[in-house]
Amino acid sequence: MRYVSRRHFLRTSALLTGAAAFGSAARTAAQAAADTTLTLYNGQHARTTAALVAAFTKATGIKVDIRKGGSSQLANQIIEEGSASPADIFYSEESPPVAALSKRSLLSKLDDATLQQVPSTYVAKDGTWLSASMRSRVVAYNKAMVKESEFPGSVLGFANESWKDRIAYVPTSGAFQEQIIAIERMKGREAALNWLKGLKAHGRSYNGNGAAMKAVEAGEIAAALVNNYYWFSVAKEVGDAKMKSALFYFGHKDPGALITVSAAGILKSSKKQEAAQKFLAFMVSADGQQAIVDSVAEYPIRPGIKSPYALKPFAELDPPPVTPDDLGDAADALVLEREAGLA
Amino acid sequence: MTIAWTNRGRPEWPPLWLVLATLPPLFLICLPLVYVGLRSWQAGPAGIVSELVRERTLELLANTVILAIGVTAGACLIGTAMAWCIERCDLPGRAGWRIMASLPLAVPAFVASYAWASVDSVFESMTGAIFILTIVVYPLVFLPVSAALRGMDPAFEEVSRSLGRGSWATFFGAVLPQARPALGAGALLVLTHMFAEFGALSLLRVQTFTTSIFQSYELQFDSASAALQSVVLMALCLPAAWGEMRLRRGRRVSRIGRGSARTLPPVPLGRLRLPVFSALCLMSMLSLGVPMATIGYWLFVGQSRGQGSAEIMPAIMGSLGLSFPGALIVVALALPLVFASVRHGGRLAHLADRLPYVIHGLPGLVIALALTFLSIHFARPVYQTAFVLFVAYAMLFLPIAQSALRASVELAQPRLEEMARGLGRSPLGAFASITLPNILPGIGAALALMVLELMRELTATLMLAPIGVATLATEVWSHANDGQYAAAAPFAALLLLVSAPLVYFFTRGNAELYDLR
Repeated sequence: MRYVSRRHFLRTSALLTGAAAFGSAARTAAQAAADTTLTLYNGQHARTTAALVAAFTKATGIKVDIRKGGSSQLANQIIEEGSASPADIFYSEESPPVAALSKRSLLSKLDDATLQQVPSTYVAKDGTWLSASMRSRVVAYNKAMVKESEFPGSVLGFANESWKDRIAYVPTSGAFQEQIIAIERMKGREAALNWLKGLKAHGRSYNGNGAAMKAVEAGEIAAALVNNYYWFSVAKEVGDAKMKSALFYFGHKDPGALITVSAAGILKSSKKQEAAQKFLAFMVSADGQQAIVDSVAEYPIRPGIKSPYALKPFAELDPPPVTPDDLGDAADALVLEREAGLA
Repeated sequence: MTIAWTNRGRPEWPPLWLVLATLPPLFLICLPLVYVGLRSWQAGPAGIVSELVRERTLELLANTVILAIGVTAGACLIGTAMAWCIERCDLPGRAGWRIMASLPLAVPAFVASYAWASVDSVFESMTGAIFILTIVVYPLVFLPVSAALRGMDPAFEEVSRSLGRGSWATFFGAVLPQARPALGAGALLVLTHMFAEFGALSLLRVQTFTTSIFQSYELQFDSASAALQSVVLMALCLPAAWGEMRLRRGRRVSRIGRGSARTLPPVPLGRLRLPVFSALCLMSMLSLGVPMATIGYWLFVGQSRGQGSAEIMPAIMGSLGLSFPGALIVVALALPLVFASVRHGGRLAHLADRLPYVIHGLPGLVIALALTFLSIHFARPVYQTAFVLFVAYAMLFLPIAQSALRASVELAQPRLEEMARGLGRSPLGAFASITLPNILPGIGAALALMVLELMRELTATLMLAPIGVATLATEVWSHANDGQYAAAAPFAALLLLVSAPLVYFFTRGNAELYDLR
């Protein structure tokens, strides 16, 4: 009995040793490659970055290693890493995590030629980061549960008794956080706080944008405050014709029509500044922008690029005059959420 | 009589080599404590007070405690009931049921949460969260309790019966007390696990300290309040760990030798056979069938089907390449802790045994950030190598290895080792030649259980794995995050498929230890 079990153990040990050897082999391979390749910390949707990197490597021959993660999680990690960060480039789904690094002087200035490719509204004033693509805040709504004519004129109108248990919001989402700051900038702190208190009292909070979008599609709730591309990613997965939800755009410069961006910057600590600058330049070039908008339902940062998605034309969005640089690292949003009892 | 219940007299200190062996895991456990302390202190005394006395803190505290206690109670009830039915009754196909009952551990929490949130929005509530998490984590109770039931001496039950006690009275008076250490350890594991749970709550509408910590890290950077909330989480784990320690104090159950125990014939279920069988089927359907159906549904409706299939082999290799050596390291670190506490006792040994449970209540993100900070400043060359990731695994999962090892270590008689020493063996020699072979099945079991947990781990793997290494869990997350559920489905299914043989190995390891028929 004991003999048998010992033999099993030995056999397993042999298996485990093999696996351990594999682990260390993977490690040394990664180290060897680090000399010739860029390291990108990626919070943007994985397939978008994969498409962009493939196009970049094809064009320049420079390889890029990608570390995946949530944008804020990666920003926190880079802050802990400080000047020893292995990252050369940070590509974030939202602008505040990149702005947070810039605020801590962790980013280098981008080449002027690159910055000039992007409308000045969508680059950081100090030139340390730029927007890579844009999207619009929208209301996703279930067509069977609510009509467009019922929507208030402003996103502020949702914090209201009449929307009791009919409006979903995601207090942990970066884009929601940006919307709070936009309201604060446009209508004042008091208005932003009251809006949050109203949402807490009448709306329903979800733990993620995907969950809120799913709830609308499933008819659990009438409407949700999300980004336009969440609807498109569900539509792409199940087919446009089967969608039970649609998007409502506020327009007329309402904070509900806020433009948010994905953004990128180069780490000051990177020893491969030249190659990293090349990557950022490629990101806003026509080829780079095409690779991005082909893989996700976002608006190009560069005019003249066509998205394969049936996006509402950018010219019709009529967004409020709040730029990503105005939003900064949006740290005040958590303070406001805390005051409203949402965090 | 093959079980000795002894009331321990004076606690005797572990020998020097054992004390030395407990130091590395203890050192590792203290690292996140230091980090969280440092970061919290940045808030300043006024900040600390204002953070802790907010109304929201109370709200989160209530939610966290209700969720954790609800799930623990549910898991104890279901885990113990299933363990008793599967181990002690004349149920057909018991070996198969053992695997079925353990396999929910292999379901990624996110998949279970998505599955149930899709069934009905009712499950997005606190009650729903308790239900979902209970059926996902009950194996953490089921496994140690069923091991204890199998190793139990029948004499107590026979005496109880002969005194005219009925089945229920015998169960509560004679069976349950013997299973109490296993039940207590399992309950503590579930409780602290729930404090740190995040993935399963991502699609539900329940907020706890851990979801709040994620929120702080999401909306703010180098957040002191997130660190403070982590301190509260650890403070919650303390009374739990202490209470469980009280529960087992002064008790010691061991068998003399492996071969001397008899087993009771299985309890005939009679008319209850069909209801019990149906109940087990229902449990498997709830905990495995519903998530599997969801994976199937994703494949069926999704346009992204087949995307990322080139990643499947690298992801399997990544999962195995990280989880196998990781499991070896964690189990090696856990072994001295368990030995010091089971064999020797004394305050230090008990502290060493319990401290990992306090860290177990911390979310993976906090552990990963702590290791980022510490390794980049003090051990830069190893940062983002598999080594630091294995350290993170140890910090996160030591208690699971401890609870898996405990049963076999408790049953290995110290007297035999003492005899060997009396015959002239060195302490280490006696341990290696007498005790180690006896606990090998337990070690194999702990390894398999660890591999299960490590394959599911997400946050620390994302942050600390060597760059470019993908695992099944990171690929599920990555595709689901992009809304490509059909692309995520094969990876989720593979997690289950790769896990099943491990669970088989795990349960067989236990069977070898106890089934002496």
